[in-house]
Amino acid sequence: MSVESIIEAAKQSIIDIDEEKAASVARQALEEGLNPVQVLTEGYSAGIREVGELFSRGEVFLPELILSAEAMKAATEILESAITGAAAEKIGKMIFATVEGDVHDIGKSIAIALIQTQGVEVIDLGRDVPVDKIIEAAEEHGARVIGTSALLTTTMPNQEKLEKALRERGLRDKYKTIIGGAPCTQRWADKIGADAYAEDAGEGVTKVLELMKA
Amino acid sequence: MAHAVSSCMSGIRTAGDLVLRMQLAKSMKIDAAKQYVADKLGVKPIDLSDSDLMAEIRAKHGFGRSFDLNKSPKGIEAKFNIARKLGIKINSVELFMARAGLNKGGA
Amino acid sequence: MSEFFTRMGDGAGVYMTAEEIREDILKGVKDAADRGKVPELTQEEMDYLYQIITMPGNIVGVERGREVVSTSDSGSCKITYHANIAMERSMAVLVSEKVLGADSVDIGNMDYSYKAVKQIVHNETPVMELAQLNAVMPVLYGSMPNLGLYTKPDGPVENWSELLPLAKISEARAAQEEAVEHAVRDIVFVAGEMYEAGADGINLDTCGASGDADFLAGLLATEKIKEKYPDLGVEFGAAGEFVLGMHGKLEYDGTKIAGLYPHKQVKLAEKAGANIFGAVVNTNTNMSFPWNIARTVTFLKACTAVATIPVHVNVGMGVGGIPMSEIPPIDVVTRADKALIEIGKADGL
Repeated sequence: MSVESIIEAAKQSIIDIDEEKAASVARQALEEGLNPVQVLTEGYSAGIREVGELFSRGEVFLPELILSAEAMKAATEILESAITGAAAEKIGKMIFATVEGDVHDIGKSIAIALIQTQGVEVIDLGRDVPVDKIIEAAEEHGARVIGTSALLTTTMPNQEKLEKALRERGLRDKYKTIIGGAPCTQRWADKIGADAYAEDAGEGVTKVLELMKA
Repeated sequence: MAHAVSSCMSGIRTAGDLVLRMQLAKSMKIDAAKQYVADKLGVKPIDLSDSDLMAEIRAKHGFGRSFDLNKSPKGIEAKFNIARKLGIKINSVELFMARAGLNKGGA
Repeated sequence: MSEFFTRMGDGAGVYMTAEEIREDILKGVKDAADRGKVPELTQEEMDYLYQIITMPGNIVGVERGREVVSTSDSGSCKITYHANIAMERSMAVLVSEKVLGADSVDIGNMDYSYKAVKQIVHNETPVMELAQLNAVMPVLYGSMPNLGLYTKPDGPVENWSELLPLAKISEARAAQEEAVEHAVRDIVFVAGEMYEAGADGINLDTCGASGDADFLAGLLATEKIKEKYPDLGVEFGAAGEFVLGMHGKLEYDGTKIAGLYPHKQVKLAEKAGANIFGAVVNTNTNMSFPWNIARTVTFLKACTAVATIPVHVNVGMGVGGIPMSEIPPIDVVTRADKALIEIGKADGL
């Protein structure tokens, strides 16, 4: 098979939620000496992004999204075993929480499922999480990025509170922060001083990867 | 409040409550509900949103108004008159009759 | 080049040129048509929408005779709880009727879920009874199915939000199916109590907030309510522009629920026996008001075109083209209303 057709098969296995096929394509890619990083990014990751887009349009549902992520995980494990050196390491750690007073976590769970497929270790603190607990967890786990989600205009101020608390404790430069949730915007991120804003889970993946490299 | 001013019938200031009753009771779309109420009141559908005209009609039929007239039907009393005029059952009116031991009335 | 004042989806003011507004209208229309697989607005409708958006005047209104009627979600308790004015709720009903010009209102509890309300329904019914004695307009009782409340630790079934990330799909689906049964029982119980308290209707608000199982609970409850209390009006309000597939396989009357857009949601509500359907289209905070309202009107027009029951479009904060801001600005609120009624053919708000 050509490089292009293997990459396409990798992508399609995720869209088709075919875990077995995802794994066999990964093995085939290694047998044929393809660059595992290329197969991962151009094949499987592209597939998961497409599934994410279909989900946002109501054409794919949460169970399928989760199963796609599982298929991706199976392929990733095979490819990672072949990636040597620094690339084999997890890209970094991230803390993720829905802010205090807010119990909405569907969006956060979706974002985490996708971000984890990209080699980021995500520590999910759940929902209704106070700022102090978020910072403590970031310190404890040695996280690089802190992500917070807020679905309510009444709980958004807790994202600002996190920025202030980080500044007051002299920790602001130690972490990159990213915010999301229906009422949030880039303007809100700029106003409170967050490093990034993501409109949806797909953009969250891209932005978190950028923050990890920054 | 913005909706009431710019786009809605404004309830008992006009005939908004009556039109909504037809939507709830008979699943009528807006034009059909207005036509039904207008026919019952002997006016044109467009008149139903005229607060000046409807104040007179509501007073005449004892439908209740936002500025209550002295010695005029209010609350449940007004709903007896509304049920009778529109030819529909109003749950609270039926309940009132049952609890008061009245075997017929409103609708 | 002249610019017009309008807003972004988060309420922030912005100036846009005529060309930018027309471009966003077209993009919004196409986005809705593409996602919902519904017809685009005609050029004439888009031109009229442009006129509405750019009309001079801080507020605009519908043409005389085009006024619609309004229902609400927890309308009376907004004075008591949200504005924090210590006013008994049946009194708030009268304020809504005599001062605020409401066509109807629903009484709701601060804990706005049928599961929570069933415990205290004996304290809720007297509020309805008193309101019914004093109010002239229709008074409904409203709450949400809120299926999530039936999960552990708050309820009896396993938490599918925890099961799904573990890829325990069948367990997550079984938990949702079990929760539907609990929710339907609670909704029908509260509806019955409210019927006997004189309610004109029951508002099943935000059906689908916890996904397709939540939506199904609303449909099944509607069926049972109409079977037991045929005279009780039912308003079935949706939660979003498409039903989120948390389960993904649930069907009603042979139709898969997940992924349905308003024009298909309304048909299921009709089938279940609802008297009024509350359509919802979400506002995107990152896009402009012209984009959001064009998109909303496109979805709504497709919905009202096929509906045989009245459609009340939700125009609360963050839906129906209304910006997601705590105090939705009156300039775009009234423009949204006009567009939804005159182009989208809404039967109510």
